[in-house]
Amino acid sequence: MDPLIEAFGLVFDPFVLAVIGLSAIFGMFVGAMPGLTATMATALLVPVTFFMPPVPALGAIVTATTMAIFAGDIPGAMLRMPGTPASAAYADESYAMTQKGQLNLCMGVNLVFSVGGGLIGVAVLIAFAPLLAEVAINFSSYEYFWLACLGLTCAVFMSNADPVKGFLSLFFGLLLATVGIDPAAGFPRFTFDDVNLMGGVNFIATMIGMFAVSELMRGAVTFDLATKAVPQAVGSLFRGLGEVTRRYWLNFLRGSAIGTAIGALPGAGADIAAWISYAVAKRFSKQPEKFGTGEVEGIVDATSANNSALGSAWIPALVFGIPGDSITAIVIGVLYMKGMNPGPTVFQENPQLIYAVFLIFILANLIMFPLGWAAIKSARQILRVPRNLLLPVILLFCLVGSFAMTNSLYGVVLMLAMGVLGWVMEEHGIPIAPLILGLVLGEMLEQTFVQSMIKADGAFLEFFSRPIAGSLGVFTLLIWLVMLARGFRRAPAAAPA
Amino acid sequence: MRMNDALLGALLLGFAGWVWWLTTFFPSFPGQDYGPNLFPRILAAGIGFCALVLLLRGLRQRAPLLVVEGWMAQPRRVVSFLLIPLASLAYILVSDPLGFIPTAFLLLLGLFLWFQARPVVALPVAAGMTLLVHWFFAGLMRVPLPRGVLDSVL
Repeated sequence: MDPLIEAFGLVFDPFVLAVIGLSAIFGMFVGAMPGLTATMATALLVPVTFFMPPVPALGAIVTATTMAIFAGDIPGAMLRMPGTPASAAYADESYAMTQKGQLNLCMGVNLVFSVGGGLIGVAVLIAFAPLLAEVAINFSSYEYFWLACLGLTCAVFMSNADPVKGFLSLFFGLLLATVGIDPAAGFPRFTFDDVNLMGGVNFIATMIGMFAVSELMRGAVTFDLATKAVPQAVGSLFRGLGEVTRRYWLNFLRGSAIGTAIGALPGAGADIAAWISYAVAKRFSKQPEKFGTGEVEGIVDATSANNSALGSAWIPALVFGIPGDSITAIVIGVLYMKGMNPGPTVFQENPQLIYAVFLIFILANLIMFPLGWAAIKSARQILRVPRNLLLPVILLFCLVGSFAMTNSLYGVVLMLAMGVLGWVMEEHGIPIAPLILGLVLGEMLEQTFVQSMIKADGAFLEFFSRPIAGSLGVFTLLIWLVMLARGFRRAPAAAPA
Repeated sequence: MRMNDALLGALLLGFAGWVWWLTTFFPSFPGQDYGPNLFPRILAAGIGFCALVLLLRGLRQRAPLLVVEGWMAQPRRVVSFLLIPLASLAYILVSDPLGFIPTAFLLLLGLFLWFQARPVVALPVAAGMTLLVHWFFAGLMRVPLPRGVLDSVL
């Protein structure tokens, strides 16, 4: 049967559609609640989807994240509190619009351009992933080694954090990935004779700890701070949109293009896409002085960018098994659990599953329209859910979710340890995302490195012997050089302080 | 609560040294130059290098050793903060002997009340959420949640 028709059959199944519908509502809710992020939504979804077949499991993740990234804009505009980090770049701007009485226009713009940007990201994913897969089929361990290096480097390079701390987080993640039976020699490393550790550090329990438990610890401190009154969006959301579209269609295209490119870069996701596209919008605006005073221009760029980054982040994830952001890092974990190991071969062996993911992406962006409208209209009710009930319930989900990942208390212990570690890291300005990427990519990086070293018999120059590997290698080394130079320049500046 | 870069660097330098020391116990295989200790050692060296940079930078900055935020002086907030890891720890310790349903119910109820939910709301929500989560994970997903004292009933 044609894989595309098969994919339609897989997606338009009552169970799958029900899962997509429920995940959409879940994603809207989590995204709209400040303090609950899209990554956290994904980490909490994995245990729920653990026993499902691949299509509904991936469908749940795709739909929930798509909704959450849009829904994060709602409290940004209404309360000046971004619902997810991806909306932080323009929360001030949106709130300023609300204060000028333009809440409806702001929400309409966010909704329409989120859908538009999302669809552009998906279009690029559909167009380029299979093409790249054909190229990637000839890759050897050298190419994969450099790709993994490049992805991990980008995760540090693109984040706003201090590069030294970024690399620290990355190395620690890679080190965590070496816990367990060594893939080459079968020797147990860093297991301290513990049976659970022989199987390695469970990645989902780690994610739940780092992204949810540490967030709950932060939330618990401020649980009683009064929230502001939520303004209600009354009337049509779409009045004035035609005018905005006419004036800023170029911004929409530019934001989507930047978002798509950054999303496709391994290691950088929706939040960085939003920051960069907002900065670009300001830089090239005819009236940059109006930015920050409630001007819709930058919002058009940034809200398109963060949603378009979501789709394109799946390109490196599906084709190379290298995550484009922390959400796709989880997706890669899920793909392995479902036995559809990411990489170019999945496009040949299971094309129907890949097409199904594409279809769900389109579907998710389309249902975002009515659901997003409903979420905006009922924002007052959503944001009224008391945090003192929400925090403990999420903690219970975390406990049960990490238990379910290992079917033992080991998962819960790991979650707790990682939650505390995540909190300590954030307190010290050490970013978490590089650690997660390191944990996911560690085994691949080590395997391809050791394989390549054996093949080359220790001659490191062999790593550059193939054209694509050579270019990737030189490019990676260049980024390292730039970062070193930056580090040295930064050091003397910090000295007089 | 934030340590200064120098202290953090010193701690991490010690950690990197410990990791390196652990790798010296990994076996090497004759004729195989790149054994299980190669990659961890590269990583330990990387962590050590970053730690050294932090240490040197911190020494130059002369920041206070430990910075404590304002909320840490308010006992109520400190307890709220600690309750999240402590509740997880309690779950780890008692869920097996006591069983999932009583543990989850007590945990939710205790946290709700601490976070100032009214008992009229806290009681039914705690009971409802416990049963919902149990039904979903133990019933639908077949996760072997511990039965504990309710073993004969369930």
